[in-house]
Amino acid sequence: MSCPKKTSTEPHVVQETVIAKGKWVKLEQTTYVDPTGQTRTWETVKRTTRQSDSIADGVGIIAILKRTLHKDCVVMVKQFRPPLGGYSLEFPAGLIDDNESAETAALRELKEETGYKGEVVGVTPVTCLDPGLSNCTTQIVMVNINGDDLENIHPTQQLEFVEVVLIPLDEFQKKIDEVLKKENIVVDAKVYIYAMGMSQAFFKPNELPVLKQ
Amino acid sequence: MEFEESGIGEECGAFGCVAAGEWPTQLEVAQILTLGLVALQHRGQESAGIVTSNGANQPTYTTLKGMGLVNTAFKAEDLLKLRHGNLGIGHTRYSTTGDSELQNCQPFVVDTLHGKIAVAHNGELVNAGALRKKVMRHGVGLSTSSDSELITQLLALTPPMEEDDAPNWVARIKNLMTETPTSYSLLVMHKDVIYAVRDPYGNRPLCLGRLVPISKLQGSGDGDTEGWVVSSESCSFQSIGARYHREIQPGEIVQISKSGVKTLSVVPRPEGDPPAFCIFEYVYFARPDSIFEGQMVYTVRQRCGRQLAIEAPTDADVVSTVPESATPAALGYAQESGLPYVEVLCKNRYVGRTFIQPNTRLRQLGVAKKFGALSDNFAGKRVVLVDDSIVRGNTISPIIKLLKEAGATEVHIRVASPPIRFPCYMGINIPTKEELIANKPEFEDIAGYIGAASVRYLSVEGLVSAVQNGIAASQEKDERIGSTASSNRRIGHCTACLTGKYPLTVPFIKCHLGAKNKEKVKCTIVYSGMELFLYVF
Repeated sequence: MSCPKKTSTEPHVVQETVIAKGKWVKLEQTTYVDPTGQTRTWETVKRTTRQSDSIADGVGIIAILKRTLHKDCVVMVKQFRPPLGGYSLEFPAGLIDDNESAETAALRELKEETGYKGEVVGVTPVTCLDPGLSNCTTQIVMVNINGDDLENIHPTQQLEFVEVVLIPLDEFQKKIDEVLKKENIVVDAKVYIYAMGMSQAFFKPNELPVLKQ
Repeated sequence: MEFEESGIGEECGAFGCVAAGEWPTQLEVAQILTLGLVALQHRGQESAGIVTSNGANQPTYTTLKGMGLVNTAFKAEDLLKLRHGNLGIGHTRYSTTGDSELQNCQPFVVDTLHGKIAVAHNGELVNAGALRKKVMRHGVGLSTSSDSELITQLLALTPPMEEDDAPNWVARIKNLMTETPTSYSLLVMHKDVIYAVRDPYGNRPLCLGRLVPISKLQGSGDGDTEGWVVSSESCSFQSIGARYHREIQPGEIVQISKSGVKTLSVVPRPEGDPPAFCIFEYVYFARPDSIFEGQMVYTVRQRCGRQLAIEAPTDADVVSTVPESATPAALGYAQESGLPYVEVLCKNRYVGRTFIQPNTRLRQLGVAKKFGALSDNFAGKRVVLVDDSIVRGNTISPIIKLLKEAGATEVHIRVASPPIRFPCYMGINIPTKEELIANKPEFEDIAGYIGAASVRYLSVEGLVSAVQNGIAASQEKDERIGSTASSNRRIGHCTACLTGKYPLTVPFIKCHLGAKNKEKVKCTIVYSGMELFLYVF
């Protein structure tokens, strides 16, 4: 067998060896060829629940609660996250079950975590979450919640240890900063970046974002 | 229709909103205020203003004022500035003899010993002239000609016994109410609270609504309250998702806060006088879907039409209306008389209120452009035309001419209100006595004067019974079901412009400044309903 000679090789994975495996997560040693042609190893974390490489592991949901004569609010969740050893503020999220689409998973997770019944208005492509650590992927699903609907007025959640937090889109970033000042909580990166983007769009569409400390 | 034509106007509309629950609120207070003012647009088209407060201990007040209709006075970018409001008040202003400038636009904001207050006022103080002097004697300078500014300054005066750090707004408002008996419906915003006040005679209207989620408009509990609104008329409530709560009683001072609505005091009328709610709110000024004293304005107008048919039946073929304000009365007339109701006039709604031309002929031409004749509906027939008012007699004559030229064999005019003969001191700028048709010799043969086959007005007794029978009926019903809501409430309406009997028997002097280009000032002293005129040069 002769391999065609290349002046620069495309990086690629050569071998994956499981080092440790739990119920939900496994640790592998990944042997790969880097762009200069050298063989190296990487420690990789993977979920055991992934169905296939063409569907994301999970979904994140950006849900906007819309009520007549009320400010549009983003629905977020606050919960204790063992890996952080503390509380996080995130978009509602969850893993995609067998034979489920990203859209279906999103509406199901939103209902379970917050009690709201929403409608999907868009999905991002499969995106990576923390590619230096793991192969975990997610699709962010955009959802509108009709807050005038009787079902969505004071909805009951099914998970009691998840606290629903509603923050108006108007000055979203400012309100998150206020929450951070008051509570010992870590904000998810996707949430904060989204907040910064909304501030830009609302107030200074032609300026680059500047965060003063 | 002559009210609309000649600009005899209601003096303004006031609207307020307080968000319930946690602040900063998710309620769009600025949008609710804007929509509330749009619904009160018929009460004032000259200018509009909104003031919101963030309700903090050191509150930030944001003001937005503009000339013209609400839709053009406020731009979307301007409304963004009000987005931090947790409560606010708004006002639409009618053209008056005062200057049409932005400075006269309400609400007024002044700094007092206890912080800023914002005031929105509907009505006209009967003793404004004397009060202005009194306030200026106290060392206060006034920057406008409006008596609404006067009210704001009176509220800023410190009442006796009040301490520096504990404002007593009830005492301040009561102090104002002793200084001036009528007419005013007031909204006073201070920090995180709105005080809603109605003068002891209840001359101008004011009512409360409760904001609930839109899908719960029909069946909501106390827990669904999202906010409170207060408005000159209830017609604004349905469109903003508010449920009609109740009227503010004459003399009542109500505190509206994020925790709810509370009556702080009810100031009684002197010497057991009856209330004096302006009867013309029912006849013309209010929107037909508003509710006063437990009854819908449309229903009262319809009853006036029925009463008119009983008092002044006509041998004719069809009944019609001068669109649109007279339509409920015309329908009532048709129902009572059994004559068929048809439309005879087509209104061009893009022709605004015709200018008050000095030349009568020009005005008559202007009116003619506003209407077209639906000739097929009445050609060869005798028409009963119902109108809500004839004040000078200028506007109905061209209409009669139009109908006759289009084929009406006879035009009988039936007016769903009694003739106006006397001036109003409570805010309706009725023309001077000499201009009123009812005071002219031509009134003897008014039909001949305007070209009609016959002219009949509704009697004062007929109007009063049409208005008051509905209230008595709903009070009886409340007593039967054991509700204390409206029992023991006296019924009374101001009919001064019709009868010359003014609601106040205390002598007072009112200086009436005539039109801008008049040089002499006419002062009127009213004592026990009689008028004594004094001319000051």
